[in-house]
Amino acid sequence: MKHLKPLNKKAEHLERAVEENQIEEVVGMQNVAGCTATTDPGWEVDMFGSVAGLCQPMEADLYGCADPCWWPAQVPDLMNTYPDWDKNAPSAGSDWRKLDTVFPKESK
Amino acid sequence: MRKHLLISLFHGVVLTLLSSFAFSIQAGSPEQIIRNNCVGCHIPESDDKLSRISYQRRTPEGWEMTIARMQLMHHVRISDQEIPISDEIIQKLVKYFADRQGLAPSESANYRYILERRLNVVEQHPDAEFAVMCARCHSGARVALQRRTEQEWRHLVHFHLGQFPTSEYSAGGRDRNWFEVALNNTVPYLAKHYPLKTQAWTEWQKVKKPQLEGSWRLIGNQPGKGDFQGVMTAIETEKDNYKLSVSGYYANGDSLTGEGSAIVYTGYEWRSTLTLDTQVFNQVMAANGHGDEMSGRMFLRDHEETGIQLSATKMDGKSRVLGVMPNHIKAGTEQTLRLVGTALAGDIVLAKGLMITDTVSRDSENILLKVKAAKDLAVGNTDIKVGNSRLMNGLVVYDQVSHLEVEPSYAVARVGDNGGATRKTLASFQAVGYSAGVDGKPGTEDDLRIGYLPAQWSVRAFNAQAEKDQDVHFAGKMNKNTGIFTPAAAGPNPKRKYSTNNAGNLAVIATVQQGDKSVTGTGQLLVTVQRWNNPPIR
Repeated sequence: MKHLKPLNKKAEHLERAVEENQIEEVVGMQNVAGCTATTDPGWEVDMFGSVAGLCQPMEADLYGCADPCWWPAQVPDLMNTYPDWDKNAPSAGSDWRKLDTVFPKESK
Repeated sequence: MRKHLLISLFHGVVLTLLSSFAFSIQAGSPEQIIRNNCVGCHIPESDDKLSRISYQRRTPEGWEMTIARMQLMHHVRISDQEIPISDEIIQKLVKYFADRQGLAPSESANYRYILERRLNVVEQHPDAEFAVMCARCHSGARVALQRRTEQEWRHLVHFHLGQFPTSEYSAGGRDRNWFEVALNNTVPYLAKHYPLKTQAWTEWQKVKKPQLEGSWRLIGNQPGKGDFQGVMTAIETEKDNYKLSVSGYYANGDSLTGEGSAIVYTGYEWRSTLTLDTQVFNQVMAANGHGDEMSGRMFLRDHEETGIQLSATKMDGKSRVLGVMPNHIKAGTEQTLRLVGTALAGDIVLAKGLMITDTVSRDSENILLKVKAAKDLAVGNTDIKVGNSRLMNGLVVYDQVSHLEVEPSYAVARVGDNGGATRKTLASFQAVGYSAGVDGKPGTEDDLRIGYLPAQWSVRAFNAQAEKDQDVHFAGKMNKNTGIFTPAAAGPNPKRKYSTNNAGNLAVIATVQQGDKSVTGTGQLLVTVQRWNNPPIR
């Protein structure tokens, strides 16, 4: 590792985790119910239990991730389930307000 | 020609089975709805079974999600009208399936948190592979609240790979031969731990289900608001359907009054919608086998994170002391205490050293007392007796608050509003006080949980990164008196580096004053981005 230098924040985190021998700890799946910590990175929580390693602003890359259904439990996937989710919002960065929630309202 | 013959034969078989399934079907009944709308894909089998459907069991919310998925992914419409399935029909189907193919109380007991929308629970999975294979995208509870045959669990794996191909190559998937592991390890694991046929379900189907009509004494606690008590009356309008009226009060005097309706699924799953004052609440509770207690949560429909952890006890004439508000008193002080119960009658007996100085008011559900605790009173849990009814360990006597714990210790809030479709998800905290116990050392086994204490609240950066990113400034505001954190607005924030979202990693600090000394406790709050997919089971 001494000849490799981390280029971004996530790589820095990973290197630090290796140095602190936290690799086992960070893959441990103990997250708040229903939150995604993995899938490079998680949607709401990064693999270090924080938010600094998330893709943010998430609007910048939202469709790049929704297209291949990267977080289908949190974000409507455009590939199979919700192909028209972004129909009226060509740019997530400027049109994110037009994106609707997808689950039907509860009947009881 | 041969092909046509085969098709005709197949149709003949299906029609024969359909007629057998159609036996005693009433117009508008769930059976008829299923026949008209489901059997096109779900093949009728012997014993009135349908392919796929008959080999699964789940909660009412689980069935609701299944029906939603059938509409969404398979475009199920009401056959003669080509319109989406109405709420009324969905409810009929959910009731039909949850009653016949639900979970026994013991099967759902460990996973109530997800049904009650207690979304700050940190799941602990006993099996590491289950956690990675199933619970890295959604809760483990979502899986554990289903029962299927091994073949059905296998179908679910195939569905995941077909519908969400990233399962195989995202982190946690690509570091193993995901499909092989899923089929060879996960499917047998799920079939073993969550099988379709269980003794618990067989027995529950035979049990006579409790009658839940009557008046119920409510007692609970809402983070940010405090103790709550009230009465709920349930009148059965048709089988398993109830008309409700609620009259409740918080300890600070605020009232919560209104009406609503409830449906009971599977003989014990209580679900209600109530309009209390101007707000719509949902109740998710489970009734016990005797039908004299229910427990669960009542939360705002539009802010599920805000709600009361609630228990309801049947007002059946039996005398019970259910709780004391507050549930603690400091040695050497005088305090007003409310005893909450049903059919309270007779003499009030408190532990030695606790003197009743005044009975402020008294009826069969509430007793308001002024109580003085002797200065040298021993620290510990004490019983309360009213007539022949005793509440064990109902009142804690303490001398000093040695330390505090913040509940929840790890919580998630979400940015929202700002013109978008998703509301802000708030985070509400409570401070739990502890006494150091007889040994005088905090953090040891004899520590005594005092209960929820009024505290002052603040936030600070959780770590150096949060400090550098000014998360405290951008992520939202903590109400210093209530412990309720309101996150900031959704959307990119041009004032932040790279216009990042108003996310943040914060330490939550509770402070309780002890004379001229302050005691603090710390929790962690992640303020994160909104989610657009919010099914009842996350």
